[in-house]
Amino acid sequence: MKIQTVVLTALIVAGSMFSANAQDASTILKKMDDVMYSPKDMTGKNKIILIDKNGKQEIREATIQQKGTDKRIFRFTAPASQSGIAVLSLPNDVMYLYLPAFGKERRIATSAKNQNFAGTDFSYDDMESVLFSVKYTPKLVKTEGNVYVLELTPIGGKSDYSKVIVRVNKTNYYPESMEYYDKGNNKIKEARYTFKKIGNYWNAAEIEMTDLKKNHKTKMQMSDVKYDTGLTDDDFTVRKLKQ
Amino acid sequence: MEKLSQIIIKLKWIIVTSVLALTIFFGYQTQFLTINSDILSSLPDDDPAASLYKEIGTQFGGNDMGMIVLESDNVFKTEILQHIKQITDSLRYTDGVSTVTSLTNILDIKSSEWGIEIGKLVDEYNLPNKQSQLDSLKNYVFSKEMYKGAIVSEDGTATVVMFTLLPDADKQAVAKMIKSKVENLNLPETLYFGGLPMMMNDISDLILSDIVWLLPIVFVIIALILLLSFKSFRGVLLPLLTAGIAVIWTIGIMVVTGYELTIISNIIPVVLLALGSAYTIHVLNSINQSKEKDRKQALIKALTYIIIPVILAAVTTAIGFVSFVFGAYLTMIKDFGIFTAVGTLIALLLSIFFVPALISAFSMYRKKIETDQPEKENILTHKILQPLVTLLFKHPKYSLTAWGILLLLSIGGMFFIKTSVNMADYFKKDNPTRVSEDVMQKKFGGSLPVFVVFEGDMQSPEVLKMMIKTEHFMKEDPNIDMTQSVADLVEQMNDAMGEGKMIPDDKAKIEQLWFLLDGQDVMTQLVSEDLDKGIIQSRFASVETKNIDEFTSKMNKFIQENKSENIKLELTGMPSVYVKLNNSLIQSQYSSLIIAIIMVLLIVGLMLRSISKGVYATIPIIATILILFGFMGITGIPLDIATVLVGSIALGIGIDYSIHIITGFNFHLKETGDAEKAIEKTILSSGNAVIINVLSVAAGFLVLIFSQIVPLQNFGILVAISMFGSGIGALTLLPVILILTNRKRKIVANNHKQ
Repeated sequence: MKIQTVVLTALIVAGSMFSANAQDASTILKKMDDVMYSPKDMTGKNKIILIDKNGKQEIREATIQQKGTDKRIFRFTAPASQSGIAVLSLPNDVMYLYLPAFGKERRIATSAKNQNFAGTDFSYDDMESVLFSVKYTPKLVKTEGNVYVLELTPIGGKSDYSKVIVRVNKTNYYPESMEYYDKGNNKIKEARYTFKKIGNYWNAAEIEMTDLKKNHKTKMQMSDVKYDTGLTDDDFTVRKLKQ
Repeated sequence: MEKLSQIIIKLKWIIVTSVLALTIFFGYQTQFLTINSDILSSLPDDDPAASLYKEIGTQFGGNDMGMIVLESDNVFKTEILQHIKQITDSLRYTDGVSTVTSLTNILDIKSSEWGIEIGKLVDEYNLPNKQSQLDSLKNYVFSKEMYKGAIVSEDGTATVVMFTLLPDADKQAVAKMIKSKVENLNLPETLYFGGLPMMMNDISDLILSDIVWLLPIVFVIIALILLLSFKSFRGVLLPLLTAGIAVIWTIGIMVVTGYELTIISNIIPVVLLALGSAYTIHVLNSINQSKEKDRKQALIKALTYIIIPVILAAVTTAIGFVSFVFGAYLTMIKDFGIFTAVGTLIALLLSIFFVPALISAFSMYRKKIETDQPEKENILTHKILQPLVTLLFKHPKYSLTAWGILLLLSIGGMFFIKTSVNMADYFKKDNPTRVSEDVMQKKFGGSLPVFVVFEGDMQSPEVLKMMIKTEHFMKEDPNIDMTQSVADLVEQMNDAMGEGKMIPDDKAKIEQLWFLLDGQDVMTQLVSEDLDKGIIQSRFASVETKNIDEFTSKMNKFIQENKSENIKLELTGMPSVYVKLNNSLIQSQYSSLIIAIIMVLLIVGLMLRSISKGVYATIPIIATILILFGFMGITGIPLDIATVLVGSIALGIGIDYSIHIITGFNFHLKETGDAEKAIEKTILSSGNAVIINVLSVAAGFLVLIFSQIVPLQNFGILVAISMFGSGIGALTLLPVILILTNRKRKIVANNHKQ
């Protein structure tokens, strides 16, 4: 990395720190979106650890390819029974599933976004890479130590959540934690983020999602992450899915 | 005994103050009494059917299924869907609710030419609002077996919201909360609340209002009878006071030992009020009859005379209650037996220690000691007992024949006895809960959950195919409308993958289909996390013992034929529990009765130092029990968890009358040496007390007619009948037996003389 870049980054960071007080909630949220969704594309390995209430673990592994915010392929590599299963997500809620045992792909529509994705504690809704600033109206509740506490209210009422409380890192604008509330105003889920800088981007090296009602936990760990390798739309087709 | 009596009088202040202190202590405890109307918690843990049922509850998100039915002319209207969603949401956000399934949130797997749609039947955030959308929803719902008659009634006028409760939730509190939340939505459609959690909540409300209403009535009635028979303030106060204290102590002990009030034990106060006063009545009676001039001496003498008979009466009654401990299947019946026995003994102790101490301490002696009004003739002796004696002596054999005919009739009637374990039967016909159950039964195949538990690899084709086979078999029964299992979902997914609605033969395929099912809410209700256990969920529409019996035995046969090394099947659910309960009712009736009869026979025999007299004493009560069952058979009053108690209770209380007559007979026989005279004297002197006693106990129990819980109403009627039966038996059948056996003895003796 060139010294200039470092200096530039430092300047930008410092500048934003000074202007922090003046920032309103939507600016903070937009900055968070920028941190989370700025790479053009990404590839990596994903390890999903499911932990039940007795502490028993189940591990799944997958490779991920993502382009922009709305094209993604999840390809499972372990356990053996799920190896080869692949999910292609395209814009406008179009999803394809490939099951190698059948040798067939099927388009799947999940009108129920509140259902959990493949046994994890992430709902389809949580997995969606739609910008937070598009889905939610933010309100700055307080600043606390090194975080901004934002209260997000879903836009359009099409969510299972009544609100999401996000703690945004003041320095780097990545989320540190999110708390999800249901419509009875009970905290039902909690996500903790560990971000690492990889190249120019902040990467969510681990997201730990806890379902407080079921006392069940999912950890998603990213490794071998590469950014901006030049994936094209052709990498996100049904034909590619079947390979 | 005289020493004991003297000690009692000596320690009067200690006794009075300690009773007072204990009463304050236990009285304070009573406020912590909780009601547990959960019949399931009363199933014994060592019973396999019951423990499996409880286990299912913990493992698959609750076996406590509640239902809310919404009824209108046509449920396929936007506004009604909106209301269903409102109900669904308010349930979903109620603490203690495990799962909610309704038209607006049920999982739907649709397959189409382009792919699979896994989602909700109705998009809850975008409810259909055009007539065409509503029509197509209606058509789709009626085209799918898993919805028609299961979530929407076949005529389309009603829909059901089902929910299960978390195993550790306070079921009654949750049910109450749900009911008030949903009622507060003020929906224009007719709503019905059903299922066990709802019923339990309603029952416990009924229990509370029963206690609040019935206890004062019992109190007043017993007070009236006491006033009529004793004609003194003391005669009313002391029996009621001891009975009341016995109730407080018993409830207090229940609280201290960690027991809850159940649908059965809520009658303990009524039972103790009716019975507990009896011992004090005897003690007072004895004191009244004493002719000693010195009050203190009179008290001691009266006490000395009465202690043994009162102990005997109380112990036999307590044995009647304790017999449930050995015979009953439901723990709540055992608990009832224990605590009523405890209460009876408390009443006994109070009548022996507290009553004389109180009289002595506060000088509650009678104002004037009645000086000999020789054989004060009252209407009872004059109009009833005297003619009775004449009749018995004139026609002992006719009297015996009359009893014989009555008993034959009763034995005939016994063959018609029905049993009932259905919770809905506990409510009166017009009770909203009962009405709701009828609606559930008519429109949604009932509210009795049925489960078939499978053990094996839930992803193996073999197990899943067996599940499908079992479901088909179950549905052949007219009382099974719908079944649900993970196998159904796998079939649908396979169909959606374009390979037909069947279980794939290849395990790899099943594992991959699973990928999509994993994480769906419904999965935790159908398979265990380790995938080594799964269940078929269903509901049974009938509550008829016959249908339930047929179904369970058919299912068990099927299970025997189909289980293998890799697949273990077991049937459980409310029908299985009901069958168990049902058999146990009859069994516990037998065993507790036999135990009670043997114990009573032994005790009475020992006390009278004559086994034959012990047998004579039990004859009227056995006859009464026969009449009781005959009456139940003829009138159609079923054997249920409350009426099953009557036999042993009747025995425990009713035996007292026979004991009175036999001890009287012994006493007078010694005095006169003439058996016939002794009998006449006994009937004339003890008959009074017996009749008053029968009337007061019967009246106390008859108050239960006003109970809102049907088995308790029946219980009241039956105990009253038993009281009359055993009273009349002691006054007619027993003397006749004594007359006849004595005549025989006379003849034998005369023969020997010659």
